[in-house]
Amino acid sequence: MKSSSWLWRILGLTTFICLLIMVTGFAWALKDTWFPKDGLSLPEASKPEVATGGNWSDKAELYVTSLGDSLTKGTGDSTGEGYVARVVDRLSKEMDKPVYLVNNLAINGLRADLLVKRLDESGYKNSIGKADIILMTIGGNDLFRIAQNGGSMAEGGDLSPKLLLERMPEAKPSLETVFHKVRKLNPTARIIYVGLYNAFYDLPAMRPASEVVAKWNEFAHDLAEADGNATVVPTYDLFEFNLKQYLSSDHFHPNALGYDRISERIVQALH
Amino acid sequence: MANLLALLQNETLKVWKKKRFAVIVLILLILIPVFVYAQMKIAQNSREKFNTDWRSELQSRITDNTNALSSERIPEEWKKWRRALVQQLQYYLDHDINPQTPNAVTFTRTFLDNAVSLFIPLMVLAIASDLVSSERSTGTIKMLLTRPVRRWRILFAKLATLTLYVSLIIITTTLLCYLISGLVFGYSGWSEPVFVGFQVKGADVDTTSVHAVTQGIYLLMQSGLIWFSAMVVAIIALMVSVLVRSTAASFVTMMATIIAGTILANMASSWHSAKYLFNVNLELSSYLRGTPPPIEGMTLGFSLAILGIWGVAALIVSFTVFTKQDILN
Repeated sequence: MKSSSWLWRILGLTTFICLLIMVTGFAWALKDTWFPKDGLSLPEASKPEVATGGNWSDKAELYVTSLGDSLTKGTGDSTGEGYVARVVDRLSKEMDKPVYLVNNLAINGLRADLLVKRLDESGYKNSIGKADIILMTIGGNDLFRIAQNGGSMAEGGDLSPKLLLERMPEAKPSLETVFHKVRKLNPTARIIYVGLYNAFYDLPAMRPASEVVAKWNEFAHDLAEADGNATVVPTYDLFEFNLKQYLSSDHFHPNALGYDRISERIVQALH
Repeated sequence: MANLLALLQNETLKVWKKKRFAVIVLILLILIPVFVYAQMKIAQNSREKFNTDWRSELQSRITDNTNALSSERIPEEWKKWRRALVQQLQYYLDHDINPQTPNAVTFTRTFLDNAVSLFIPLMVLAIASDLVSSERSTGTIKMLLTRPVRRWRILFAKLATLTLYVSLIIITTTLLCYLISGLVFGYSGWSEPVFVGFQVKGADVDTTSVHAVTQGIYLLMQSGLIWFSAMVVAIIALMVSVLVRSTAASFVTMMATIIAGTILANMASSWHSAKYLFNVNLELSSYLRGTPPPIEGMTLGFSLAILGIWGVAALIVSFTVFTKQDILN
């Protein structure tokens, strides 16, 4: 009986204290939800890392950031890697040093004008600022407008070379702004713009679209040249006669093999 | 009063000597290390991927969820949930605050959030389910009721015991979680800031009343809310235990109800009146975190009211039945 009385004292006291804590917590939660007072002031966080620039061969490691649309995302690649992960792997092997992907910021269906808005977000600023190499694809959705409506593009949809040509003038300024903004966020990184290709080269009605694509790529090239530390990697020649081999089943995005070829090209341009 | 205290002492010791609480502690001691290990693996993985750059990791979560939004196969409610999440994460990123600093307090907070809908109720049921029914199946209820004590006092003592044990369970869970995960993640993190006050309004998150609290305060508020929902589960379990003779039946009934609640919460968004069920409202801590409620129109006040009404109703039923019922066999 003695031990049980001791047990009761300890148990009763402990559980009672527990109860008090719980009721306090509950009351505090209600007060904080319904009558919030000013929160505590936020501590100063350490600054995000910034790329140092300089010669790549002097650096122990390289950082890559990629941004853009579904092509950079890797849509259509059954391995899920896309060209970005492949470039990182290849480059790391060829340069014999670790190459890290800071972030793949690509978003399916992104258009150039939307990317311009995203470039103001802090996450984009951090990731781009840290990179030595910036990979991007953008503009495909501005011209083709496919990702938005699910895209059964095998039939051609409402696409026509004329429509593409009409859309180009409104998309051009956005691309220009993208180049400028990226450069402003990171003065030292090499920018690689992956050129567009005509995924519908096999449709006779859409074959002339290649001309529009070529014009777009040329415009991108002009921007890159004006920038000075940017380059356009062409892809249209890979696909034109090999659509079956390199395109995935949605007839718009590359498949694993197609992404592999694109990454080969990018690494050639980089190293 | 002395009489009531003696009853309370009797009940508390009875539960203790049945070793139910020891079982609960044992379960926690086995399960928490498992989760800690899993979390450690995840942390290692992301450290390799993101090179300890939490901003990259956060941005990658934002990008992933944004991408999932563009998929047309995802149901609308999931999109709503993700959209809110993206806006919240963006808020953290914009204010340069890491929402998931790797430490024991963060782990405990996440663990409690996940435990509120099933794990905590389960542990509460381990004690609540046979509080009355076991007295009946073992026949001891006759001894209890032949004493010169009013019946309502007996049930009240049982209720008070339950309240004490529910508090003890939640504190023990929190403490064990902190102590065990601290071995791996380090015992710091009490003063890291967390944002509270996100208000989900339709597809958008209202950030006007968002303010930062320390993780310690957050943990206190969170466990307080969890305590309330655990108490309602306990009270309803007590009612079932009064109504049902067999302990197993009472446990299974309650467990089925709780599980049904978590399933409903995941799929009932189009069935609006489901929000009046108590088991859909148990996740009180999600209001603190600011995740969208399972059904549109649910708020902290609403859920508290629903839980409160169910609790009071269960108490009325328990006390009426217990004081009037004939004890046969």
